[in-house]
Amino acid sequence: MSAILRAEWFKLHKSKMVPIILAGPVIGLFIGLSANLEDNMSGIPINEWYIALFSMNLTYALLFLPLITGVFASLICRYEHQSGGWKQLLALPVTRGKVFIAKYVLIMLLVMAMQLLYLCSVFAVGLIKGYTDPFPMEIVWKSIMGGWVATFPLVALQLWMSIMFKSFAAPFAVNVVFTLPSIFAINSERIGPYYPWAQPFSMMYIGGSTDDVFFVPWEQLLTVVGGGFILFFLGGYFYFQRKAI
Amino acid sequence: MMGKLLTADFLKIKRKGLWFLTLLGPIGVVALQMVNYGVRKDYLLQQSEDDWGYFLLNIHSFTPLAIVLGIAILTSFMASIENETNAWKQLIALPVSKLSVYLSKFTVLAILLFLSSTLLMIFTLSYGLFLNLGEPVPYLELAKFSYFPALAALPILALQLWIASVCHNQGIPITVGIFGVIFAYSSYVLPDWMIWKWPSLMNQWDEPIINVMLGVGIGILLYIVGVIDFARRDVK
Repeated sequence: MSAILRAEWFKLHKSKMVPIILAGPVIGLFIGLSANLEDNMSGIPINEWYIALFSMNLTYALLFLPLITGVFASLICRYEHQSGGWKQLLALPVTRGKVFIAKYVLIMLLVMAMQLLYLCSVFAVGLIKGYTDPFPMEIVWKSIMGGWVATFPLVALQLWMSIMFKSFAAPFAVNVVFTLPSIFAINSERIGPYYPWAQPFSMMYIGGSTDDVFFVPWEQLLTVVGGGFILFFLGGYFYFQRKAI
Repeated sequence: MMGKLLTADFLKIKRKGLWFLTLLGPIGVVALQMVNYGVRKDYLLQQSEDDWGYFLLNIHSFTPLAIVLGIAILTSFMASIENETNAWKQLIALPVSKLSVYLSKFTVLAILLFLSSTLLMIFTLSYGLFLNLGEPVPYLELAKFSYFPALAALPILALQLWIASVCHNQGIPITVGIFGVIFAYSSYVLPDWMIWKWPSLMNQWDEPIINVMLGVGIGILLYIVGVIDFARRDVK
């Protein structure tokens, strides 16, 4: 298993993945520095970091995070789609199941790395703006880890789509079709909790209740994120088992 | 020559999902408002005296996002058709100039974009009439909100086609498209010179026509830059 993971990493690390992973913190910096919520909120006794986190997490988790995970998934299948790569890879003594899992694990590690870089950008925004309030470490960690966990089902679906389609555009189109409605879903108390593509936002939204480990109740996390993950992961797993290459 | 290239390009996009996406964009934008008005029609009608105007504004809140993402998807599709089978070489080996190859791709995409806008106008009008938003129907405003964003998005189309056709790795144009949609989503904080702000039709003078003129002008400029760069590059 570790050999496959290493092979996947070698294929990836020269394929212009670094600039794409840096997109996360760049977007974070852009939103954080362009938003001017402080002026509206002056006088309200609130930790300054929260103001930055509110505006940054909104755009980042609502649109950017779900969309960029699809790009990672397509990137990781790019070598295989070019000139018979699937045939070469699967002719090696590996099982299809292991290849699928290795690709999935590597994407999740990339998303994790991007989340950590985003955390750095939150910190940088605070430094640039000269916040003096204490850094709300616990809340930020909840938000970063929560956003990561929420991408589990999304990545599984995107990996499935990326294996299915040769072009980048087709899986991206699927991703867009599901991600854009979440702008609406988060405004609705009825649909929002059940819409998997709105989960990165819910899990990163720092206004949620802080009693649980994450910002959403366990039931919602297990049913929507967990259920979506199982559905999409098994769907992709079995699709790949049967796919003619 | 141009006519034949266009025919060839229209043949190539058959059964690839491009027509479907062209249809899906406007349907999606109107469908989101169907959900919105379906759930809370009474509340939304109370928000403003001008029901049609408010309805058009609601539709318009999603149009720029759909256009920016749609352009990114369609341009990347267009380039993938040639990239996937290394068909650029064969295409350029034909007795056609690189300039006309690029122009033909751009034209096909622009036609799809305007077809999309026309469909958006038809769907918006039908759903507006269905909602019974009252008389008179503001046809001029309706046409403005349907075609102006697409015209103002021409620079984005030129930029995305340029990046998609010179990058072998389609991850790059798609990532640029994601940046574009983030910019379009936060366009109210962007300065006026950013091309991703223009489809929102906002500017400091409050004159949407300025965005359209800028869009067409800068669109042509970016198209020329793109075509020159495309013609100078080696075909991989």
